Amino acid sequence: MRLAFILGEIGSGLRRNLSMVVSVILVTFVSLTFVGAAGMLQMQINQMKGYWYDKVQVAIFLCSEGSTAAGCASGPVTAEQQASLNSLLESPAVAQYVNDFQFESKEEAYNHFKDQFSNSPIVDSVTPDQLPASFRINMKDPEKYQIISETFSSQPGVETVIDQRQLLERLFSVMNGASLVAVSIAGVMIVCAILLIATTIRLSAFSRRRETGIMRLVGASKTVIQLPFILEGVIAAVIGAALASATLWAVAHFFLGEFMSQQYPDTAFISSGQTLILVPALLILGASLAGISSLLTLRRYLRV
Amino acid sequence: MIRFENVTKVYDQKARPALDSVNLEIDRGEFAFLVGASGSGKSTFLRLVLKEDRATSGAVYVAGQNVAKISSWRVPRLRRGIGVVFQDFRLLPQKNVFANVAFAMQVIGKSRSVIRDTVPEVLKTVGLEGKEHRMPHELSGGEQQRVAIARAVVNRPGILLADEPTGNLDPTTSMGIMGILDKINQNGTTVVMATHDDDIVNEMRKRVVELKNGVVIRDEARALYTSMIPVVGQSRRLKDASGRDATETGLPGEGEGQR
Repeated sequence: MRLAFILGEIGSGLRRNLSMVVSVILVTFVSLTFVGAAGMLQMQINQMKGYWYDKVQVAIFLCSEGSTAAGCASGPVTAEQQASLNSLLESPAVAQYVNDFQFESKEEAYNHFKDQFSNSPIVDSVTPDQLPASFRINMKDPEKYQIISETFSSQPGVETVIDQRQLLERLFSVMNGASLVAVSIAGVMIVCAILLIATTIRLSAFSRRRETGIMRLVGASKTVIQLPFILEGVIAAVIGAALASATLWAVAHFFLGEFMSQQYPDTAFISSGQTLILVPALLILGASLAGISSLLTLRRYLRV
Repeated sequence: MIRFENVTKVYDQKARPALDSVNLEIDRGEFAFLVGASGSGKSTFLRLVLKEDRATSGAVYVAGQNVAKISSWRVPRLRRGIGVVFQDFRLLPQKNVFANVAFAMQVIGKSRSVIRDTVPEVLKTVGLEGKEHRMPHELSGGEQQRVAIARAVVNRPGILLADEPTGNLDPTTSMGIMGILDKINQNGTTVVMATHDDDIVNEMRKRVVELKNGVVIRDEARALYTSMIPVVGQSRRLKDASGRDATETGLPGEGEGQR
């Protein structure tokens, strides 16, 4: 009975205050979209880092069939060549710059590739043979990349030596900057949302002061009096959060999944499924924003 | 049922107190009029009973409980034991008669079936049977006040406070309202009614507590709106009552003696 009563109160509150409720929905929608966009950018950075990025700095790719580099004139890398590269890495001259290194076989390379590009159609057209085996080196000092490069580029069986960080770091700093901007905008919008929710609740409490006055007099509990107001704000904010989640999913699905991945097939993009991780976070954030701001407002404007 | 022990209420430190060392006891099942000019402290008295305000000093007991000691989350329970009626009815304009009365039961969580049984019964007590589905604006002032009374007593409170319930009504209608209040009182509810309406007070011949400037200057059983005590005595008391010092010694004791 009391539940039905509270639901009825919420319904009438939302109806009476419709324009304010719509504006709360829109403001939380926009602010949470920015929060989610920042989250998506970070997820995208992680996706692009792949398996090795955080573990190693330098990759020595070994010759495979069809390699055209100068060092690969004698065909794919042989077991002896690989062994001598391994011992060179372990020799004191090189080992002083190296924390540790790992060998990635063609099979392992294929598995890591599959993980990173799981959302991309390219994964179906690649076979383990096409991917080079490699030594992955974790440097004591990443700045010393040049030494490794000079030592190994000319070795037989080495296709190329790559400093992975150099390739991606500039892109990542742009993306990190963009997520910072998104977070700042989200912050301002969240302040707007909180103030707007507070104002809405105040108006709502004022327009229903007759009812709440009577409720107080006949001994309704604080919960019964305040809950409809709080839930009004929470419902509006949750609707906003749901819209934000839907927008982010649509961006991942249509823009990244269907447009960008066609344009840049060699880049790993996050899937629309991955953005669903953000949904509960956005819903909880929206609900708690509204809940807290309406609770604080009611404490001032609705005496019980 | 209601006991004031030396209660003082000060709203503004610079002004005189709204209530000044009031000692008063209203017993269970009693019917008492609270009379006095505007600003004499009648409304403050009612607010203190409801714990809408705290007494500045002294203690207010309602149904044996010191209201100052009731924690804020238990105040609703106190208020469920008290019905209140106002001069301006305070009905919800968008709800019909039945819904207005039912509202008081809904918000404290009564079940639908209990509401369905109780509300028509209470509406019958106040003489509104058959008007369940009217909207407040379709009713006369007297009928609206009956709805308000029905709402105040539907949860069977032990106390009914009425703040000038007949202030907006003509004399005949007022007498009808008084009949209802009297009936409610005879069913065992303590009724305290603040009023300016001398005709009603004179007609009912109930206990009269007169306040002036926050001080009880008269407390008589089966009394009239104006004092029956000779004018000489009254003028002396009124003079005393206006000064704060004189009141403490003289008046409350006098009221006590007449009860």
